Amino acid sequence: DKAPGGPTHMMHSGISQAREFDDPPGLHEKTEYLLREWVNIYHSPTSGRDSTRGFSAFVQQMHQQGILRTDDLITRFFRLCTEMCVDLTYRLLQESNVSPSLLNPTLVRAKCFHTLDAFVRLITLLVKHSGDAVNSVTKINLLNKVLGIVVGVLLQDHDTRQTEYHQMPYHRIFIMLFYELNAPEHVLESINFQTLTAFTNTYHILRPSKAPGFAFAWLEVVSYRAFISRMLLHTPQQKGWPMYAQLLIDLFKFLAPFLRNVELTKSIQILYRGTLRLLLVLLHDFPEFLCDYHYGFCDVIPANCIQLRNLILSAFPRNMRLPDPFTPNLKVDMLQEINVAPRILTNFVAVMSQPFQQDLDSYLKTRAPVTFLSDLRSNLQVSNETGLTYNVPLINSVVMYVGTQAISYIHNKGGTPSMATITHSSHMDIFQNLAVDLDTEGRYLFLNAIANQLRYPNSHTHYFSCTLLYLFAEANQESIQEQITRVLLERLIVNRPHPWGLLITFIELIKNPNFKFWNHEFVHCAPEISKLFDSVARSCMGKQFN
Amino acid sequence: GVAPLGPISLSKDNHYQQAMLEACYRHMPHPSDAERLRHYLPRNPCPTPVYYHQSPLPHHDTIDFYLRLSTETLFFIFYYMEATKAQYMAAKALKKQSWRFHTKYMMWFQRHEEPKTITDEYEQGTYIYFDYEKWGQRKKEGFTFEYRYLEDRELQ
Repeated sequence: DKAPGGPTHMMHSGISQAREFDDPPGLHEKTEYLLREWVNIYHSPTSGRDSTRGFSAFVQQMHQQGILRTDDLITRFFRLCTEMCVDLTYRLLQESNVSPSLLNPTLVRAKCFHTLDAFVRLITLLVKHSGDAVNSVTKINLLNKVLGIVVGVLLQDHDTRQTEYHQMPYHRIFIMLFYELNAPEHVLESINFQTLTAFTNTYHILRPSKAPGFAFAWLEVVSYRAFISRMLLHTPQQKGWPMYAQLLIDLFKFLAPFLRNVELTKSIQILYRGTLRLLLVLLHDFPEFLCDYHYGFCDVIPANCIQLRNLILSAFPRNMRLPDPFTPNLKVDMLQEINVAPRILTNFVAVMSQPFQQDLDSYLKTRAPVTFLSDLRSNLQVSNETGLTYNVPLINSVVMYVGTQAISYIHNKGGTPSMATITHSSHMDIFQNLAVDLDTEGRYLFLNAIANQLRYPNSHTHYFSCTLLYLFAEANQESIQEQITRVLLERLIVNRPHPWGLLITFIELIKNPNFKFWNHEFVHCAPEISKLFDSVARSCMGKQFN
Repeated sequence: GVAPLGPISLSKDNHYQQAMLEACYRHMPHPSDAERLRHYLPRNPCPTPVYYHQSPLPHHDTIDFYLRLSTETLFFIFYYMEATKAQYMAAKALKKQSWRFHTKYMMWFQRHEEPKTITDEYEQGTYIYFDYEKWGQRKKEGFTFEYRYLEDRELQ
């Protein structure tokens, strides 16, 4: 794919060619003439519904002007057309700024679209008709090349105009081009997956951290109805899923530092709200997608974004019926699903370095040497700066890896995970050691990593639910218990949705007398905390505790 | 909001991103940017008082809803909302009410009475049709409706 001549290569050469301005004399004029001609043809009723009739005559004109002679000239032609469309947009927007009463925004946009839509149709037709009918390679290459050129022009524009940059012309080109290339036609359908790949690569290159001035349009194109349904619904074997997951990760990564700091300027708030809406749509329509990639998403979402994470963790497969967590005497270990492992489509092992994983494996196997445990904390630390002390993805990875290893270890011994079977093993050594040895920050991240697995009924949920309760029961300091309570509670006091496993674990903690939950000092440390526990207990159990 | 791990200092990149995002926020994408050009009824968002309906009635996109609309409304949708689902639904509703589309005149016809002549190629008689230029229904006597101009695709 990255090989010279491959689609990705075509896109990157398109991006770099967008910065070559040494055009042969006369090309600018020819392009301008041709583009104007094409806009007229596109809007002429005699061209037919999809402009096919006008197109063949126009290709003749392109030939006569010598544009189609070399690949280099075609590339330059597309670059100049893109620039002309963009310039026109800026000019019209400028005019409407000068005399807003004369030109209403709708009219200005209609004028821009007049040219932009025509250009998009030209791209579509050239892609469709390049090479012969069965030759998909030339079509895909051309598409990647053109997208690369538009990306290159966009980035150039973004970097030079800075805060005066306008996202609209590019937004329009991407949306309409996607729309046109997904028409129900055989030629287009046969290259649909490569088309989706090309658009995903385009959007990934233009991710908000690279082109922040394009961020709102970016969120629009990524949440565009037709894009979501093509990526998550119509592409067979869920081949669009990893690509779409990557784009969501791009979005979370961009938002992360601002959300973490609670630096919520108006623009960040709007982008955040858009993200919530997108996630709600995905939770409603594609819960399995959120299930499969929850690990990768939680890895990049900051710890304090409770609701954002709850949306992801609340997803469960549509064919599953979740028992009401408030059912009295609910026997979780009797549920069929509790033995089935969830699908994790993120490679969570990859974060660990090779030697570290070897040491971990050997400790899990032999329960030795003890130095592995004492070194663990320093292995997870990356700096001395408060708030940035730990390698969060590594903590998540260790927790997940040790947990899944523990489950298969118990299974191999012929048992199933339960409060009794999870104890006294190398796996639990690691967890208990982390709970005791880490400082407040590290423990918070560690407990969050566990709580991220408390989802719908499955073997991970069950295992980690037991683990968390066991850590609570066996804690040698009240501060550990307080922190476990904190991590659970802070995920429950936000608005819905709440993950099933989280509710189950919390209810067990406050209901089961073995945990002596209500005897702890932190439950009664302040009147508003007592009141909070009261109200949570009431809503969880329908009665008052004190 | 709560930042349990405390704030971190934002990098130079983060500040640049924030500034660009703030600038970009001044000209947000318009709803019309992501849809085909509407020639006659462009979107024109404006603040509407909360005590007015902010969204259309539920099930407004079903055929039952369209069948309750007046024929004039259906003609309006047909001619002024080209290439939309609404146009498709209006055409479907008109067909259900025995209107037939003439592809040469681009107008809808309805039999006023049983045709005087019916052959394999055409039928002839008195028809009511909707004139989109005068914007009203007209009667035409002795009109020949050639079947080759009959739009007879099955609308699912």
